[in-house]
Amino acid sequence: MTAVNAAPAATAVPWRRRWVSVGAIVVAAHLLLAVFVPLLPLQSPTAQDATAVLQGMSRSHWLGTDDLGRDVLSRTLWGGRPSIGIAFGAALLAALLGVLIGTAAALAGGWLDDVLMRINDVLLALPSLLVLMLVASFIGRQPVVLMATLAVMYAPPIARLVRGATLGVLGRDFVVAARLRGAGSGEIVVREVLPNIRGVVITEVAMQFSWILLAFSSLSFLGLGTAPPTPEWGLMVAGARTYITVNALPLVAPMVMLASLVLAVNSLIDRSALEDRQ
Amino acid sequence: MTGYVLRRAALSVGVFVVMAVLTYLGVAALPGDACTALLGKFATAERLAQCRAEHGLDAPVLQRLGDWMAGLLRGDLGYSVKRSAPVGELMVPRIRNALLLAGVASLLAFPAAIAVGLATGRREQSKVSRTVDRAALVAMTLPEFVTASVLWLVLSVWLPLLPAVTVVSSDDSIVDLLPNVWLPAITLAVLVFAHVMRSMRASVSATSQRPFADAARLRGVAEATVVRRHILPAALPPTVNVVAVTAAWLLTGTFVVEVVFNYPGLGRLAVDAIADRDTDLILALTLLGLAVFIVASFLADTVIRLLDPRVRAGVGRA
Repeated sequence: MTAVNAAPAATAVPWRRRWVSVGAIVVAAHLLLAVFVPLLPLQSPTAQDATAVLQGMSRSHWLGTDDLGRDVLSRTLWGGRPSIGIAFGAALLAALLGVLIGTAAALAGGWLDDVLMRINDVLLALPSLLVLMLVASFIGRQPVVLMATLAVMYAPPIARLVRGATLGVLGRDFVVAARLRGAGSGEIVVREVLPNIRGVVITEVAMQFSWILLAFSSLSFLGLGTAPPTPEWGLMVAGARTYITVNALPLVAPMVMLASLVLAVNSLIDRSALEDRQ
Repeated sequence: MTGYVLRRAALSVGVFVVMAVLTYLGVAALPGDACTALLGKFATAERLAQCRAEHGLDAPVLQRLGDWMAGLLRGDLGYSVKRSAPVGELMVPRIRNALLLAGVASLLAFPAAIAVGLATGRREQSKVSRTVDRAALVAMTLPEFVTASVLWLVLSVWLPLLPAVTVVSSDDSIVDLLPNVWLPAITLAVLVFAHVMRSMRASVSATSQRPFADAARLRGVAEATVVRRHILPAALPPTVNVVAVTAAWLLTGTFVVEVVFNYPGLGRLAVDAIADRDTDLILALTLLGLAVFIVASFLADTVIRLLDPRVRAGVGRA
């Protein structure tokens, strides 16, 4: 793609690089925390204590307690696991679906391309939060169900990008050379196309990961995602709203965590690369 | 132009009918119906059968689809088994409240977004312009319930400028409702402002670098006239589309913000209806949302055609 934004690049790059490193550290910290939180010496995130409800910061509860006397620090550190896990799985599944459908449509062309892309357009037009709420309420809110729904809802933009990028690569000389060498479609996709579109695809998948994270935490906030008493940021924010005037910490702590993760993921995404393509 | 409007209107009606049928079949395909939701999971088979017979849920799906469509033509949106009330009656006060919320948010957001987008788009590389753009990007990236809760904490808990969340019933008078509109409206306005402003900024910045803008400047046309006569007409059409989509979203897609502030609009009704598996209500609300989006896109296309001679002539957009 042409570098439309090339002119300001000379000044923009150092700025971006500095932020990328901060963003990368924050994202890495969130991922490590989500994996290793069971090893930390924390209080139980679900143990209730009726004698210590809605306390402020103290030595025994660094971030205080919520309305059931549960430790807010522990709940906040555990609270990323359900959303990050589901968003990670759904984003990987969506990437797999998107790459399969996108390359298949680009290589096949003709009616198969048309049919796949029309189905893609219909899925893109559906309001994803509405579909998610319907699935969670009628089918169930098991992680597998929600992960699969999220993957299907968020695969279409990836498929569209992959199809476009693949079409761009297919006309290049090295693909023609591979064809003449007698390479089959599968070999061309794996050895010629995928290495060349890797960058934009990873960027797009990262973008969809952050949308999936938002969608899932919103679903939990609305009471249709993670079920209590499991700690989850969206669910914690929803529960903390009722006693906000007594203690704001149980509301603020999960919001800071969620916001820092989403903003850090987005700081890593080079939006200009994607916006040029669309 | 009249011919175009008629063709486009006919197409809209066609899309609406097809989408309505697909929505009905989609919701019917989901496991569970109003009766399983009403009677809970311990309902006996006889009670379920009795309930289904009572509400006509035992007929084949195509027959129910036909009855439902015939009801729509008579203005009958169905009956909420869970809430024991006709769906239309449940929706009327909520539609009024949704219009109030969307109206206030629109007034706060659209004029400011277009003005700021125009101003920052003309100096895209300036420090102020880039800071505004980055702030808007942050507002677009954060989850709605985080933005809403932050505004709530700041504007009503820490600096008590606005009333905290109170319980208002959906059919209270507009005067009683008005103090509760501000917080959700400001939250929605921030989100809408970010989307519309960024679209306007990008499109103004792209247009002001086009040869026709430079040609006008070289002819000695005053900069204000260049903006008004040359840049605005070419830069507005993409933004008109964004305005239409966000306006439709304000009317029907504000689930999260309404729940945060306990606002009795259509979004919260939809969340409640879905949680209760209240199928007739879900269908009616989805249909309303669909109609709003189709009308918004119809209006946007018509306005764009009026604004942009290139589209009218079929040259296609540059």
